[in-house]
Amino acid sequence: MQKKSLKQHILIHTVLIALGLVFLLPLAWMVGTSLKTAVETGADPPTLLPATAQWQNYSDAISYGRDSVGYIPFFVYARNTLLFCILFVAGTVVSNSIVAYSFARLRWKGRDLAFAATLATMMIPFPVIMVPVFSLFVKMDWVGTFRPLWVPAWFGSAFSIFLLRQFFRTIPMELSEAAKLDGCSEWGIYSKVVMPLAKPAVAVVALFAFMAAWNDFLGPLVYLHSQDQFTLSLGLQFYRSQQLSQWHLLMAASTVVIAPVIVLFFFTQRLFIQGITATGLKG
Amino acid sequence: MTFRKTEARNGYLFAMPWFIGFGLFLAYPIIASVYFSFTEYSVLKPPIWVGTENYETLFADEVFWKTLGNTLFFAALYVPLATLLAFGLALLLNSKVRFMAVYRTVFFMPSLVPVVSLVILWMWLFNGEHGLINNALGWVGITGPGWLTDTAWSKPAIVFMSLWGVGNAMVIYLAGLQEVPQQLYEAADLDGATPWQKTKSVTIPLVSPVILFNVVMGIIGSLQIFTQPYVMSEDGSPSRSIYFYSMYLFDNAFKYHKMGYASAMAWIMFLVIFLLTLVALKFAEKRVHYEGG
Amino acid sequence: MVGRFVMPAVVLLVLGAFVVSERVVQEQHDDGKIHVTYWEKWTGIEFDAIKRVVDEYNRSQDKIHVDLLSVSGIHNKTLMATAAGVPPDVAGLFGPNIAQYFHDRAVIPLDEMCAEAGITRDDYIPIYWDICTFEGTLYALPATPASTALHYNTRLYKEAGFTKPPETIEEMDAYAVKLTKKDSNGDIVQAGFMHQEPGWWNWGWGFVFGGELWDGESKITCDSPDNVRAFTWLQDYSRKYGTSKLQNFKSGFGAFASPQNAFMSEKVAMVLQGGWMGNFISQFKPDLQWAAAPFPYPKDKPELKGRTFADLDILVIPRGAKHPKEAFEFIKFVQSQKGMEMLCLGQTKHSPLAKSSPEFYAKHPNPYIRLFTDMPKNDSVVSPPKIAIWPEYSSELRNAFDEIFIELKDPQTVLARVRTRMQPALDRYLREKALRQGE
Repeated sequence: MQKKSLKQHILIHTVLIALGLVFLLPLAWMVGTSLKTAVETGADPPTLLPATAQWQNYSDAISYGRDSVGYIPFFVYARNTLLFCILFVAGTVVSNSIVAYSFARLRWKGRDLAFAATLATMMIPFPVIMVPVFSLFVKMDWVGTFRPLWVPAWFGSAFSIFLLRQFFRTIPMELSEAAKLDGCSEWGIYSKVVMPLAKPAVAVVALFAFMAAWNDFLGPLVYLHSQDQFTLSLGLQFYRSQQLSQWHLLMAASTVVIAPVIVLFFFTQRLFIQGITATGLKG
Repeated sequence: MTFRKTEARNGYLFAMPWFIGFGLFLAYPIIASVYFSFTEYSVLKPPIWVGTENYETLFADEVFWKTLGNTLFFAALYVPLATLLAFGLALLLNSKVRFMAVYRTVFFMPSLVPVVSLVILWMWLFNGEHGLINNALGWVGITGPGWLTDTAWSKPAIVFMSLWGVGNAMVIYLAGLQEVPQQLYEAADLDGATPWQKTKSVTIPLVSPVILFNVVMGIIGSLQIFTQPYVMSEDGSPSRSIYFYSMYLFDNAFKYHKMGYASAMAWIMFLVIFLLTLVALKFAEKRVHYEGG
Repeated sequence: MVGRFVMPAVVLLVLGAFVVSERVVQEQHDDGKIHVTYWEKWTGIEFDAIKRVVDEYNRSQDKIHVDLLSVSGIHNKTLMATAAGVPPDVAGLFGPNIAQYFHDRAVIPLDEMCAEAGITRDDYIPIYWDICTFEGTLYALPATPASTALHYNTRLYKEAGFTKPPETIEEMDAYAVKLTKKDSNGDIVQAGFMHQEPGWWNWGWGFVFGGELWDGESKITCDSPDNVRAFTWLQDYSRKYGTSKLQNFKSGFGAFASPQNAFMSEKVAMVLQGGWMGNFISQFKPDLQWAAAPFPYPKDKPELKGRTFADLDILVIPRGAKHPKEAFEFIKFVQSQKGMEMLCLGQTKHSPLAKSSPEFYAKHPNPYIRLFTDMPKNDSVVSPPKIAIWPEYSSELRNAFDEIFIELKDPQTVLARVRTRMQPALDRYLREKALRQGE
């Protein structure tokens, strides 16, 4: 940004490295523990690193108790998480972009009022709607399926509508009008003109949706029945069931879980930050 | 004009998913929840109307007050600290120095750690006897408290743990900072402004809408804190010191099957959030700068 | 152009995800058998033991096939599934759950089917049959039971000069003093006895002094003199040894099922534990010198001698189950000596049946298995209260333990407050019940 003296550079790096170490420490602890033996995890005083790295912890963690029936099906959890994330992200992107298109680029009676109401719903805490939505899903006999987790995502959410609308408004109306003169339908303008230009904003909405699904604990806790359906966020609990505390395996499993996401973020962080910038949260 | 009519028709059509979603997953639940809050309801059988009894019981319920107090305490500590930390980090990460992608990833990473692992990691670090934090404090001659066993320290411990996940807010601040026009800094440089002066009189006013947005979202989010303390201790022990509002609400709804009571609790929560948001907006009225348009 | 294939690929991916996500929850079978769904709360070795019994049953005949599923938060999920009209045919619940199921009429009575099958109270250790009955009607049958006893470290006993376990609470308190060691900083390095290890029954110490948690009908009695006495007794430990010293000591304990377990690593000389403990010891610390004995009783209450805390896993048939007859056939198999002993051996617990076979005792890994089997036959035996508001009540009592033990609040005051909180909750429940019956 601004030109900086060498002194400032050094200062910034020092602060960032110091803070970074604090932020990294728990993660280092996680990776360190993932390579320990079960005995070492309870060592006193605690150690960051194991005497010898137990790489087999990783294969043990993802195939834990494979031979017995009560095993922890890591790959099943991973598959379920993936299913949930795909359906949730797809729903979020599709529904919200369509709705935001309407709010941003089409004129209809009551639009601004509806948009204000939409914004206001962001204030409604989840617990307010939790009970009735739950009893709704009970009546539909959807409890014990994935549907309660992802179907609502296909019907829009205030936060994503807001982000996308802000972005859609920055796309010049002339583009739409030109397309219309070429005989393009509204759907055509949305899918062929506006959406291709909105990639960064869509990426941001997709990232936030992904994180929400990835970290969702309450939803799976309430709606899913069996181990075969659990997602990673919930299933990891089993590595620390009351009688069997496999800390080293839990940490190995967690490392496996977050590694791909971290790599993904590392390579795309610039795009995301630009995407949020482009959506113009500034109002 | 037909042109306008078609556009309006398309407008309604495109907004339809949201109208349905709004009706099914917001409007209906909201109305139902208002109704449930005046009933005794266990999902198993139809609700029985009990008038305002749930609300009366609530106001006399010491656990309600305790969890509300715990939650407000958490929010009061967490929101300002998280704002400072996330904004400070964003300022640092917005400077043009090398390895920025690495730094950004480092600070964002904790938001990606699965909650169960995150909680267990912190339970180790906070362990009173041989946790790393108390060991480190020991090196400088301080005897650390039993973080998670002492009722006075368990809430600050949760705040500390939550601060580790400010990555999300940080990214939004970063985006806001990218929008501050370069020329303004250059002009300030010409005036011989110090970095602190530039931050105070250029950066903060220009990103104030983003700060407001994050603060409001922070208030809404922190008042609903659930997963971390729930995974740490379902009872909120020791002595319910980390028993938060959403946990008590969850227990009432899904453990005790008092859906009516839980609905009444949810509405009180909405009121609290509504009031605090109003206060934040009021406070921001004169301090937040919106550009024209 | 690659771009042309991106959209169709994404659409296919989402469709694929949808199809797979639907298949995950669908069971398909076309083997001509009647399929009985069985939800079970356990995971781990306990689940394995159940699975073996289910497999054995499925092999033993060719009409019924039991589909076993491990379900989390089973209490709640089964109630909800029952409300939605799609319950499993068999549910393996915890004993204390039965009260709420009974009140919500979520389970079907089993008396008739039991009479037909010739299953009677005489076949069981009475307490376990009684846990399954409500107002004279049977709503469940036993799965595995559990009884508790004092586990003590004989090596540390020898060191301190003790040759036999304490008879009374007063003796145990004196033992504990001698068995507690501190270092030069005054920090505890070995504890004689600790209430919070493992801390699973923190709500239940009243039983040791003969306290009852309710009168069985309509009154909460958690602040009765006996209960207050029990909580005062445990608070004395906190005062005597130092609350923060005990808390700090406890936070150094390793995981329960590991050699670092507080009892196995000889950090605590005496603990209250169940019959499964022997199995964990032989697994993780086979050379530990230990023994088990009935938990001590207060000197002035000899009638409580040999009292144990008996808990039970139960099998129920939810109302609305599709195949109640077939479900009962399976439950009947579990009640047979063969099925039951297979299950209890697998979970290293004792059998709830009145008689156990010599092979069962011979094969059982716990050397004190006879003690655990005999204690529940004692008249002084107790089990968790069959009260519909138990989830709430037990949470309230666990918190009371914290306030009394950690915050050193006055037990009388704390327990009286629990009563004033829980009595209206119980009243409301009873009122609702009366209202529903009037309908």
